[in-house]
Amino acid sequence: MVDLDKLRTVAKETVSRDDVKYLIGWSQGTFGFRVSPHFVKEPEEVDSLTFSPLCCNNLATYLTLTEKNPVPRGEEADTRKVALMVKGCDSRAVVQQLVEHGVGRDQVYIIGCPCEGVVDVKKVEKKFGELLEPVQASWENGKVSFQLPGGQVESLPREEVLAQNCLTCRYPNPVVSDILLWDEVEVKGNDDYEDVKELESKSSQDKWAYWQDKFTSCIRCYSCRNVCPLCYCEDCILDRLNPTWVFRSTNVAENTAFQMARAFHLAGRCIECGECERVCPVDIPLMKINRKLYKEVHEKYEFEPGLDPETKPFQASYRPDDKEDFIL
Amino acid sequence: MEHLKLSKDKLGDFVAKLGDKEVLVPQKEGEALKFVPLTGDSVPELDYANTSVPPKNAVFPQTETMLRFEWGKMETTAVTGEAKEKVFFGVRPCDARAKVIVDKLFTWDEKDPYYVEKREKSTVVGLACAEPCSNCFCTSVGGGPASTEGLDVLLTDLGESYLVQPLTDEGQSLCQAASDDLEKAAEGDVQAAEKVHQEAEKKISRQIDTGGIPEGLPGLWENELWEKVSQSCLGCGICTYLCPTCHCFDMQDEVEGFDGRRCRTWDSCMFSEYTMHASGHNPRPTRRERTRNRINHKYSYFVDKFDVIACVGCGRCISLCPVNIDILDILSKVKEAL
Repeated sequence: MVDLDKLRTVAKETVSRDDVKYLIGWSQGTFGFRVSPHFVKEPEEVDSLTFSPLCCNNLATYLTLTEKNPVPRGEEADTRKVALMVKGCDSRAVVQQLVEHGVGRDQVYIIGCPCEGVVDVKKVEKKFGELLEPVQASWENGKVSFQLPGGQVESLPREEVLAQNCLTCRYPNPVVSDILLWDEVEVKGNDDYEDVKELESKSSQDKWAYWQDKFTSCIRCYSCRNVCPLCYCEDCILDRLNPTWVFRSTNVAENTAFQMARAFHLAGRCIECGECERVCPVDIPLMKINRKLYKEVHEKYEFEPGLDPETKPFQASYRPDDKEDFIL
Repeated sequence: MEHLKLSKDKLGDFVAKLGDKEVLVPQKEGEALKFVPLTGDSVPELDYANTSVPPKNAVFPQTETMLRFEWGKMETTAVTGEAKEKVFFGVRPCDARAKVIVDKLFTWDEKDPYYVEKREKSTVVGLACAEPCSNCFCTSVGGGPASTEGLDVLLTDLGESYLVQPLTDEGQSLCQAASDDLEKAAEGDVQAAEKVHQEAEKKISRQIDTGGIPEGLPGLWENELWEKVSQSCLGCGICTYLCPTCHCFDMQDEVEGFDGRRCRTWDSCMFSEYTMHASGHNPRPTRRERTRNRINHKYSYFVDKFDVIACVGCGRCISLCPVNIDILDILSKVKEAL
């Protein structure tokens, strides 16, 4: 059960520590169903922290996204930890960052929040409209309950409102944490890759037509890349100009090159938080690509990323008993 | 000009009479609504709050070839004069107003031939908002749900029909071409439309008093608010690419085989690459400086130069920001700090 008092008490203790720079959690957003990532530097700022089915943001992104100004001469770099609140999927992103040495274990203090799945804002806005007054939400016995403006309470089955990746989630509990805020939750998801199989069953021509249509819409805002906790190359291939690997021109060829470059770089690394698909302003089903690659890696190499900080990265590991039956 | 009336069942006929011009209408692609060319006998779907992608792409394309060249040759061929006549059908008043604001920039010292040509060849049929979106704040920045700025014709939904209000000569001739489908509006229809406009204005609940912001912003350069409001920013291009007034572009020479083109593509001040110097120095090194620039450009620099706020209050950047960075929240923090 979510215990907000405990969350705030732990947060207060954490930001008061000498070895913690700041804490990143979630707070009520400025309207409707929105929640904002919330950076806490002072103990008095913890009261606005929250945790609910609306906390969709994967905060692990900020471990690698935060830009640092050069350290002025004569001053020392701030090497204190960042405290981070994580759901199951967020913790898997942290594990993957640790495995890749993108983040050091001594640089992060992990506060685990077992999670029963977050809502897909598009689904709830379809049901309740684009509300302006802030909405509260909570998990209640397999349902999600919404406190709507005017005091009205509506409970809906989780299948109707949760994000797709939460419905198939097999890791709702943080796989790594320094402190766990409440009891672990029951695993309800069972992923049989139904959506991927459906796409796989189509002919090459149909698949190409499908993706051509989707990628034509891409506006190259790079929100999928920037929100991804595992897209953190300092020198991204997409930003390169000399040589230019992907033209700045938007057309189906370049957009496809962009999306394919991203997908391949995430093979065996994507931990299925679904953030890329959530943020896409033109509704490209990006998780279909990532999940296809996830399935390939899972089935062919019996490997799942972001579970054990002691493993080697998928692409840097070799086992003599790796399957070979699919190699031509 | 005389008010007219269009019965909703004649909408398809009306649109079909827009001649050989390309007609752009709001249409759904997946969950995303955008302006796309109307094809065949389809009828425009006008039951929407606003498109998620603004219609700016048709006058300021995301990718535009400016000139062509051939590998090893010294000549270049400019690419202009290829724009087609276009009719934008069902544009919301905020997006139409945005075009008027962007016109100021593209015709300021040198007229931008690429933009001006497309702008001159476009006719805009607007649709007054009866049900504004929850994040609309057009009335705070000089617009309104039935603003006519930048429109040639304004339609107002009266339930069974539309009140058709031609506003310019282009609008008038467009209505004349389709006069068979239009009838003269009664006094009651005009009053009903006015009522729709007034009701819509009342429904706009988000507001900000922009007084003092343009003059005050430069004084807040080093204020701590910029760090606070930009901490969660992902540095993506959603707020700028989906903004109807954002108009920054990059220019690139792209060569494939022996064919080369110089093209301009949308650029975003929220990208670190935007201000990156060849030396490697970046005058806007973090998202704090980039967020500060976005707000300053819209609410201070543009006002300074063109005497109008470069924001029409469409609310897209608020609704679509993945991390809930809310421009009205930033502006209210600015007001507090003044």
